[in-house]
Amino acid sequence: MKPLFLSAVALLGASAIAEAQIPTESGYQITINSNLDGAIQPDTALTLREAIAIANGTLSYETLSAAEQALVRPSAAGGSQVSFDLPTGQTTIALTELLPPIIASDVTLDGTTQPGYGDSTPPRAHVPVPVPIVSLTPAPGQEVFRGLTISGDRVTVRGLSLYGFTAAPRSTQTTPPADIFISNAPPPADAGLLSPPVSFFDYAPADLAPQDVVIEQNWLGLPPSGDIPAQTSAFGVSVFNAVNPIIRQNRIEYHDGSGIITSVRAEGLQVTQNTILSNGLAGMPDAIRLEGKIADTTIVDNLLCGNDGSGIFLFKPSGAADIRDNIIQFNGRRFQRAAVYLMGQSHQVTDNFIGYQPGPGVAVTSFPRSDRNIIRNNRFAALDGLSIDLNYAHNVQVQDFQQGDGPNPLRNSRYRREDTGNAAINAPQFSAYGFPLTDNQVSLSGTADPGSEVDLYQVTEVGDIYSPLAKMLTTVAVTAQGTFSTAVELPAGAKVSAIATDPSYGTSEPAAVTTVTAADGSIPEPLPEPTTLPSCFPPVVQQPPAVEPPEPLRLRVPRNIHFALDRSNISAESATC
Amino acid sequence: MRKRLIGSLQRVFLFLSAILASYLLSYVGHHVPSGQAQTAVTNQAGAVFGPPGQQTSISSNETRFQTPEQPALSITKTADRAAAEPGDVVLYRLLIQNTGASAATLITVADQLPLGLTYIDNSVRAASEGVPVVPTAVAIDGNRVVFQFDDLSLGANQRLEVVYAALLTPDAIRGSGQNVAQVSAPGLPPSVAVFQLTIRAGILSDCGTIIGRVFVDKNFDGEQQPGEAGVPNAVIFLDDGNRIITDPEGLFSIANVVSGNRVGTLDLSSLPGYTLAPNLYRIENNSQSRLARLAPGGLARMNFAVTPTFGEEES
Repeated sequence: MKPLFLSAVALLGASAIAEAQIPTESGYQITINSNLDGAIQPDTALTLREAIAIANGTLSYETLSAAEQALVRPSAAGGSQVSFDLPTGQTTIALTELLPPIIASDVTLDGTTQPGYGDSTPPRAHVPVPVPIVSLTPAPGQEVFRGLTISGDRVTVRGLSLYGFTAAPRSTQTTPPADIFISNAPPPADAGLLSPPVSFFDYAPADLAPQDVVIEQNWLGLPPSGDIPAQTSAFGVSVFNAVNPIIRQNRIEYHDGSGIITSVRAEGLQVTQNTILSNGLAGMPDAIRLEGKIADTTIVDNLLCGNDGSGIFLFKPSGAADIRDNIIQFNGRRFQRAAVYLMGQSHQVTDNFIGYQPGPGVAVTSFPRSDRNIIRNNRFAALDGLSIDLNYAHNVQVQDFQQGDGPNPLRNSRYRREDTGNAAINAPQFSAYGFPLTDNQVSLSGTADPGSEVDLYQVTEVGDIYSPLAKMLTTVAVTAQGTFSTAVELPAGAKVSAIATDPSYGTSEPAAVTTVTAADGSIPEPLPEPTTLPSCFPPVVQQPPAVEPPEPLRLRVPRNIHFALDRSNISAESATC
Repeated sequence: MRKRLIGSLQRVFLFLSAILASYLLSYVGHHVPSGQAQTAVTNQAGAVFGPPGQQTSISSNETRFQTPEQPALSITKTADRAAAEPGDVVLYRLLIQNTGASAATLITVADQLPLGLTYIDNSVRAASEGVPVVPTAVAIDGNRVVFQFDDLSLGANQRLEVVYAALLTPDAIRGSGQNVAQVSAPGLPPSVAVFQLTIRAGILSDCGTIIGRVFVDKNFDGEQQPGEAGVPNAVIFLDDGNRIITDPEGLFSIANVVSGNRVGTLDLSSLPGYTLAPNLYRIENNSQSRLARLAPGGLARMNFAVTPTFGEEES
């Protein structure tokens, strides 16, 4: 048996070596020189449709015309790089029908290769994105429900503008349209004779899903002019079934539905440095909607502003998301939802600014069971609800899945651990409504769940006792007896709230605020709050108008002084000569 | 004065008469079979007479006489099921026990079956202390079934088990489901047991049940697979105006729905952000509504697959 086993191993090794020596894929350097679209044919124009077909291997190099072959060069590096060299003024590719999905691996569609890219100053954005020159949109009167469909691994889409991709409703609506749709086995728009069998949609094995797709520096949903298009796109990036996709430094605006939406799988999704504005105009209203398998998702350093629903809504996902360093403000324009709505376990919401929301800041559902969600070091402002709202005792009514249910009573049964968000960790309670100031310091004390840490926050807004947590002050550990105390420097009249965090359960709702009083117990009148106009971007610091330095005085003394300057036959020149 | 005394004496007489009459009544009709064990019964009468406030009570001498020991029958009734539908067969089981000290004979068991239940001929089986017993006569009079055990002498603390079957006819749904069994023997007070059978309409029901679910379809086949989350608080309207809300898992059910062609539709305004998903395989399921042909007593399903929406104002 042993020699047989060894020989089998030897055979396996030999075949593996043989496979390694055979190039798995051939790639091309493809330059698109035409914005035309239509049937693939050998001519002088190399279109985007032809480029994708060449990269996919469905259009062979030999069938190209000589002019087209000159634009296609085999790539030694493997994979296909698609670059653009469109004539000036003909940089909008009007698609007449759906493009074939990009099924090849290592394909790069690089809009930054178009001559002139990056010459103009990028408009204002969270992270400025150069104005794309090449844009993709459906041809007038044509319905193209997806812009780019990506089914291959390591596909990169860079520096393009995609807008206007949607579908008219049939008896129902279609399968999800999007500017960029990422999935293996992309479903057709609707039922038809050519519908593949159910077994075609094999989304269960993760290794069939496209890996490491990168979407960067694109303008999704808006043309290079930056205006809202006449026909808005349905969704921005639909991560239907993908592993480790990266969406970074894009502008994602004016979509009928969400800017970024996941469905079956988006494990390892990275959403970084995007500007996601004004989405959800007539559909799924949330800027980023996460469903399905989302393990190891990170949403870092994005601006989510002016969207119609939540900034980030997690709907019954499996896996945890890390939501960090984002600015989430002025959302909820149409639906009064929480700025961030969490379902599931072990999510992290840290170091974000969350504000100007007609709902709570972060809501944690009571169903399905959601706990160990850590919500710390965030700043909140101008909320219509709690900064952190944990749904209580299996509250599952309509408003509970949108807005939360308000302040919770203390845990009154061990069953609250099961049926309340974040396992019903109790909010801290201050031991007094006011704490006197002594030597510019105030000693704060209260109670919280033993084993937790209490983050003390300053509350700056004049409002009710659950005003938003504006500024993090300090963190203090809770004793085994369930008490905490600390001294902080605060002015008289300052208001303080607190949240408790236990890694085993999550972060609590905020405590009812307490007030720092003067030594004599009086409370100074709060200063009026400055009013600011809503804006997605931080206010521009107005540069004072440049003061022209006064011209230096020059004294001139004429050599001759003529009289009778009122005489018309004496000119100024002759008078001074 | 004299007249009052006469009146008082009359009342005393009446009172004494009443007491004596009650004793007489107590023992009238007691048939003492010969050969039974005897037991002693003591008796004493009392009377009260005199004007109110000055009454005097007197007692008679104590009489003692022997009375025979009585058998006593108890009956317990059960069935093999608590609920039944037309077409079902119910097995009733009677347990008759002689709790007295002497043997009981000539036992008659009668069962008044409820409306719609008919005794199945020759279905009766009986056994006394494990020994099979055959009833000497089985009489059926309408809904009343009578089993006669003339040859059986049920000794003290002995038990008789009787099992028989009844068939539920469609009339049963109009009946009470309550039947009353009675055991009797000459000279003994009858004992009665009641069993309440819940009658379900079953195949004769006018109503059925609709179940269904609202879920996010990700492979557009109209069926919910793992990973396709249910949508809570979605509203379904039925053609009769009933409004049903899904639970947190997206499931719903409606009992007592009148059978026939039932139509349900999803209220899209109840699930903002979602709309009906296309079904790539069944054209019928690309409809806004679901038609369920609900058989009486049947079960029908209305599933609604949804998908994130766009272009809400256009549809």
